[in-house]
Amino acid sequence: MKVWNIARKEAQDARRNRWYWFYTGAFALLSLALAGTALLGSGFGGLAGFGRTSASMINLVLLVIPLMGLTSGSLSLTGERERGTLAYLLAQPISRAEIFWGKFLGQVLSLGASLVLGFGLSGLLLGRAGGAQQWQMYAVLLALSLLLALVSLGLGFCVGSLCRRSSAALGASLVVWLGLAFFADMILMGLAGSHLLPVAGLFHCSLANPVQLFRLSALLSLRANLDMLGPVGVYATRTYQHWTLPALLSGLALWAVLPALFSYSIYRKRSYLG
Amino acid sequence: MKILVACLLLAAPALARPVANDQQLQQALRQAAPGETIEILPGHYLGPLVLDRPVHLLGRNWPVIDGLGQGTVITVNAPDCSIEGLNIRNSGSEPELDHAGITLNRGRTEVKNNRLENVLFGVFVARADDSLVSGNEISSQLKYDLGRRGDSVRVWYSKRVKVVNNYAHDARDLVAWYSSELVMRGNRVRGGRYGLHFMYCDGATVEGNILQNTSVGIYTMYSQGLKLRFNRVSGCRGASGYGLGFKDAGDVTVSDNLLCDNRAGIFVDSTPLKPDSYARFHNNVVAYNDIGLSLFPSVRGAQFKGNRFYENQEQVSLEGGGLQQGNDFRGNYWSDYQGCDLDGDGRGDLPYKCERLFERLADHNPALRLFTQTLLQEALDSAARLFPLVSPQPKLEDSAPLIEVGVLPQPEPQPVDHAHWLWLSALVGFSLGAARLPLMSRIERKSALSAILRIQNLNKKFGANQVLKDLCLEVQPGRALALWGPNGAGKTTVIRCLLDLVGFQGEIQIGPYCCRRQGRRARGLIGYVPQELNFHDDLGVLETMEFYAALREADPKSIAPLLGQVGLSEVGQRKVGELSGGMRQRLALGLALLGDPPLLVLDEPTSNLDAQARDGFLSLLQELRNQGKSLLFTTHRREEVVRLADQVALLQAGSPATVCQPSALEAHTLKILLKGDQLDTAVQVLHRDGFSPARNGTGVYVEVPRDAKAAPIQSLFSAGIPVWDFEI
Repeated sequence: MKVWNIARKEAQDARRNRWYWFYTGAFALLSLALAGTALLGSGFGGLAGFGRTSASMINLVLLVIPLMGLTSGSLSLTGERERGTLAYLLAQPISRAEIFWGKFLGQVLSLGASLVLGFGLSGLLLGRAGGAQQWQMYAVLLALSLLLALVSLGLGFCVGSLCRRSSAALGASLVVWLGLAFFADMILMGLAGSHLLPVAGLFHCSLANPVQLFRLSALLSLRANLDMLGPVGVYATRTYQHWTLPALLSGLALWAVLPALFSYSIYRKRSYLG
Repeated sequence: MKILVACLLLAAPALARPVANDQQLQQALRQAAPGETIEILPGHYLGPLVLDRPVHLLGRNWPVIDGLGQGTVITVNAPDCSIEGLNIRNSGSEPELDHAGITLNRGRTEVKNNRLENVLFGVFVARADDSLVSGNEISSQLKYDLGRRGDSVRVWYSKRVKVVNNYAHDARDLVAWYSSELVMRGNRVRGGRYGLHFMYCDGATVEGNILQNTSVGIYTMYSQGLKLRFNRVSGCRGASGYGLGFKDAGDVTVSDNLLCDNRAGIFVDSTPLKPDSYARFHNNVVAYNDIGLSLFPSVRGAQFKGNRFYENQEQVSLEGGGLQQGNDFRGNYWSDYQGCDLDGDGRGDLPYKCERLFERLADHNPALRLFTQTLLQEALDSAARLFPLVSPQPKLEDSAPLIEVGVLPQPEPQPVDHAHWLWLSALVGFSLGAARLPLMSRIERKSALSAILRIQNLNKKFGANQVLKDLCLEVQPGRALALWGPNGAGKTTVIRCLLDLVGFQGEIQIGPYCCRRQGRRARGLIGYVPQELNFHDDLGVLETMEFYAALREADPKSIAPLLGQVGLSEVGQRKVGELSGGMRQRLALGLALLGDPPLLVLDEPTSNLDAQARDGFLSLLQELRNQGKSLLFTTHRREEVVRLADQVALLQAGSPATVCQPSALEAHTLKILLKGDQLDTAVQVLHRDGFSPARNGTGVYVEVPRDAKAAPIQSLFSAGIPVWDFEI
């Protein structure tokens, strides 16, 4: 019950934050664009399919969600500590666990609402335009996005529990985001390009990156294979066959759980007196 | 002869010989006159059947011909036969022996509208010219892997065979070898390896077929003069997932095909085969494939015109890198074309150039396709556009790209594996459920204590700085204890310890609860008024009360009376951020009183108030104490201690506390006369022991409480410093 109260307050705080609405609006626009261009195939006589634009949209989605999760997660703890309200909250008859998981749940609800809103708007567009048969694909994407939101929130809370100041947390979360979305790929590409990393190694190394896990899961869910990723995709599909998606999702689930637990263990031990 | 056969077929009802069991069927096969129709009535018949004479097998209501897993079910060794309306099952499983549902060893035979199930090969047309395989539904033996299964239809050394309107699923290939002038029309193939496969098949016409989810769509090798039109190929996946593939083929016309959602829409290797042959790709739609067109750099002389390359991840790939030359790309639609058509002729005014740095890198090292459509790819391509030095050479140019894409029918939606849903639901549920793990209830330990607060041997260090040392305190119910001492003496630290905001050594119990092990319960007995009043400024006063009431599990009905008690009834809707300092202080007290806690802990509660507000606030606290609340508070004002406290704990950093009556704080100035050369040493000693001395030329002045006036003198004696005289 207390967790729920904290969660509601956290969600309320998020709703009052203009950045939240900026992110939500941006995400809704992206989702609408995804529905309009990719799932409805409106630009080509009703021919639907998964094309370059679809992939780009998914790419954008997977960039926006971690950015939202990381920044809001990291600022959730540090912001409250800087305002001094966290110390007062901790002085109440409520455990640290309840506060932490309440805040986490509140952020999950906020981010989830943002995603559902974005996907909901474009889902309405789909339905009105007669693309209701795509709802399964759409729902899979929503479910995966929620999972990615959990991952990024967990990482954001990690950053927030390790940093004392909001500015530092924001900077660190942006660095983490860039690392996941760009630098990790760049390193792997460099290794693969110089033939230091074989196909199998490239695939397995990429699994260490939750953004890649989401991307591979989304592609596999929407397309039933990873062939578009070339030899690495073919290797993954052939090696793990129908276990590929469960393995990817399990990896994503681990990423959703472990950072959150880690950040909780850090948060529990730290002093939050500003 | 054909006319004769047609006449015989038309007359079949009149000549039909009905059979209803195995014996009659075998007898009919042995005795039937050429051209006679054997009408097989509904039932279950055993194979194998061998047609050694030109007869027509006509099934009524799908009679089953069961091969019992032995050999070929029906073998046709005579020309001009027909087989229609049968359900043919369970052939043998030996691929070397070509076990099939139906094997045609002679020409001009028609196999129409049958169902072939669990047969290794479906229809094996072996040296049977002018045969027709039409309208059959064929599936292979599902117990085997795809490569071990047989082909749905295999055409072998046969001419002018027509394979039309069949539905093949879960079989290996639909394949033709060494056969010419074939017509493959209107077939539907789902699953399997090769949708349609041609080897050494010249002059074949392939049109109107629908191929879905095969490993390869239509693949042509070493064949000449093929026409491929109006086929739809989608979902070809795997390393060779080509919608249409051409290797060493010549005089090929490929037009009006729809190639959608394949690994590569069109694959071309060494086609056209000879310099004087051609390969024309016209008006095809190549959409949503990983690669639209996959070319070997060795391809020369191919013509691509009027095709629509739409939304392929990579429009054109050159296998192994290199450059394509000698092919004609003119007048195609490219969905990533960024030019314009100012003259309105339907053609772009600027040429379409297929040039992307990432694609070029991936062509050289296909493993890099892992990073397709990532931020990294976008960054690389953007960098190449911005810095022409790193821009790759275009793979091709289309000097007159089409502006309009046109309209196409919509292919059937792809099925979605529902098993994924279970996984997703389970994983999301697990993730959310895991978040609740640390919320497990704790074991509580009850203890009966008379004091509402008991602190025993409390020690707290910040680094090397020992702030609290062996502190022991008690607050009895209804009593007030003031924490007194200079800045840094540890007053606020004591409060933080009992609120479990900082770690500590020692024991703190609030009521029956241990502060460390049962912190949540213990804090439930405390109403806390902090020194710094940090609330959520964006909330209203009433909202704030409601929020903390929920956390403290206080009765919401108590909020209004409490606001009245602290004098905030009139500002319930006002934002906390808009309150004055005094109002915030009263709000803090109101919050502290939520849930009617027996102990109020106040950290310098009047520090933000002016004299009048302070007086009112102290009156409120006095009233609460009189009502039976216990108070623990810190302050720097003696009058507050005297007015509120029953006892005072004198704190000095790093020293055990002394508890005394408030009256002891009424200070006196003690003047101690000393030898001149010992003045500095005396000041140091007194500082060390927690006094605040000041000196002049003959002695030191020390503020001392009323009940401890001799303490500084004792300190000096202990340090071996003789005191000449003193006065108060």
